[in-house]
Amino acid sequence: MRTERRSSRVLQYVLVLLIAITLNFMLPRMMPGNPLALLAGADVGLLSPEQRAEVAARAGLDRSIVDQYTAYLGDLASGDLGFSYRQKRPIVDMILERLPWTFLLAGSALLFSAVVGVALGAFSAWRRGRPADLTLLGVMIALDSLPSFWLGMLFVSFFAVQLGFFPSGGAITAASSLEGVDLVLNIASHAVLPVLTLSLLSVPGVYLTMRYAMLSVLGEDFIRTARAKGVSERGVLFRHVARNALAPVATVLALRLGLAFGGTVVVETVFSYPGLGRLIFEAVSGRDYPVMQATFLVFTVAVLLSNLLADVLYPLIDPRARAT
Amino acid sequence: MSVWNTRPGPPAARRTKLASSLDRLGGRREAPDRATGADGADSKLLEVSHLSTHIWTRAGVVRAVDDVSFELDYGETLGLVGESGCGKSMTALSILRLVPEPAGRIVGGEILFEGEDLLHLSAEQMRDRRGGRIGMIFQDPMTSLNPVHRIGDQIAESARIHLGLSQRAASDRAVELLDKVGIPRARDRARDYPHQFSGGMRQRVMIAIALACDPILLLADEPTTALDVTIQAQILELIVSISAEFHTAVILITHDLGIAAGMCDRINVMYAGRIVESGAVDEIFNRPRMPYTSGLMASIPGLSTARGQPLRTIEGMPPNLIDPPAACRFAARCSDAREICHAGEPELTSRGGPDHHARCWGTDTGGWLP
Ligand SMILES: Nc1ncnc2c1ncn2[C@@H]1O[C@H](COP(=O)(O)OP(=O)(O)OP(=O)(O)O)[C@@H](O)[C@H]1O
Ligand code: SF4
Ligand SMILES: [Mg+2]
Repeated sequence: MRTERRSSRVLQYVLVLLIAITLNFMLPRMMPGNPLALLAGADVGLLSPEQRAEVAARAGLDRSIVDQYTAYLGDLASGDLGFSYRQKRPIVDMILERLPWTFLLAGSALLFSAVVGVALGAFSAWRRGRPADLTLLGVMIALDSLPSFWLGMLFVSFFAVQLGFFPSGGAITAASSLEGVDLVLNIASHAVLPVLTLSLLSVPGVYLTMRYAMLSVLGEDFIRTARAKGVSERGVLFRHVARNALAPVATVLALRLGLAFGGTVVVETVFSYPGLGRLIFEAVSGRDYPVMQATFLVFTVAVLLSNLLADVLYPLIDPRARAT
Repeated sequence: MSVWNTRPGPPAARRTKLASSLDRLGGRREAPDRATGADGADSKLLEVSHLSTHIWTRAGVVRAVDDVSFELDYGETLGLVGESGCGKSMTALSILRLVPEPAGRIVGGEILFEGEDLLHLSAEQMRDRRGGRIGMIFQDPMTSLNPVHRIGDQIAESARIHLGLSQRAASDRAVELLDKVGIPRARDRARDYPHQFSGGMRQRVMIAIALACDPILLLADEPTTALDVTIQAQILELIVSISAEFHTAVILITHDLGIAAGMCDRINVMYAGRIVESGAVDEIFNRPRMPYTSGLMASIPGLSTARGQPLRTIEGMPPNLIDPPAACRFAARCSDAREICHAGEPELTSRGGPDHHARCWGTDTGGWLP
């Protein structure tokens, strides 16, 4: 039964991925107006008829929709995400160049917010109902409602411009020939503010989940059993409560990974960070549709993968979800 | 002084005792070394006096346990019997000082355990008693075990805390205990998680946890209520045999007077936060001196009713424990009630028989009941 459930889960992922791909294929072709403009970029009006024909042929628009679809799938399978007529480059190159930076931001932010959110959530649960808990709770709820770009701007103007602690933009000092530790430090100092901004956006979610999960676990019968065994308050919280509360928190975190990618659009734009999020922003403002589509697809896959990660991680935390 | 009453006992000696006792499972209350206190035969293991535990709710203060006093001898099995909501669990939780806070609080009284007032112990000293000298089994085995920890570890945790055993020694002890409570292939099963155990098996695990450190007092709060009838008997049997073997005193909480009759030496009948009758099992059964007790007995299947005759249940509901009336708390449901019953509450007074006490105007001196 368990293997059955697992394989049906895999099937679900494949299905969702296929739907995303299909939508991505259909949308430009179903939109009103000239699909050529959507595939080849807004400048298509400036092209000569011969160039148009060439673009159309290259995009396969002269073929039947079924042929186009299979060709599209074939391209995807071989790692071809299309061509940016704006930048005159294969899109896959553009994405590969940006992806590591976004991974750096989203990954660090996730790690940071996980550690901080879980620790503060556990702390709050320990001090439940007392001033320290209530203050922290208030701060987190307030933080949760702050708009991300506003927070980012605030950081830039304060830490980068006013205090000059950190660079205000970019991922690495341009035209520098840094090596080793200096290079790492340079990259890190560029990443601090965007990572902090991204983290501050997801810490409240993790914190609230952890705190709530711990408080509800505290009411469980097995906590009373632990107390009746003579386990100390700290032992109860860490060995019994936190361990159980981690399951929902891990799920939230994995789902947040997907959200963190979304957050990078705003944060990378504010910090002029050369990641995937900024690529989306550039594509949207330049109306470079093929690039937009390709990056959306990458984001979809990222969200799916983080869901998959949650599914894989969950049994490690909760033995009831393990196959026997 | 025996190994049992010495704390902290040398782990090796304790384990040997457990191992050697494996094959002398037999009659109850044999070895007298544990049946009397360290200070001599007269001292009691547990003396609860004037215990009151209240629960603050939106509607008002619930007097869940209201001026309750009772005693327990070393090795004795005491039944705490009464309908749902009469304060049985709160009494047991009060002894362990595990009344759910902050809503509930022990507001008065004294709980002398081995001569010390538990209510005056520091939090740390109290933790030392919990799971060490006093073990507890709860009603619902399905929710009382931590789902993310291995069975063996959950038993071993107690042994590590109280006996100071190493991880390895504690695991060995856990396996020994699992075997002791009748789990087949104990060494393998110790590595399983609670969800891989049935309800009856889990209750056996709970018993193993409660007994992990050779407690001198075991609190069993409706240990079989959540189980299948066929399993119930096995679990009760296990509690009886193990408590007898280790000369552990037991407070068995149940709403089933029949179960209490089969297992206990003495019985306390509770009603609406009060003890309304107490005495030796035979005494209570042969001559109940409080109509509520008689009512409970009438509702035991196959005891007082002839075949085919429907079971009698006590009509009505217990009174609200927020501001209970200054009257016999059972008066509203008692078919023998007279005017005096509504005018004032009777005291728990002696009924002549050994330790037989009842709280009833009708059976008090000059009363109208037999
Ligand atoms: N958390 C709580 N909040 C409010 N009232 C409570 C709470 N727990 C118990 N009570 C009240 O305290 C009284 C005693 O409860 P207790 O659990 O001791 O009863 P019990 O005799 O163990 O009953 P049962 O057979 O149902 O377990 C009851 O009247 C109950 O309504
Ligand atoms: S005191 Fe009166 S009402 Fe209460 S049990 Fe006795 S006879 Fe019944
Ligand atoms: Mg109860």
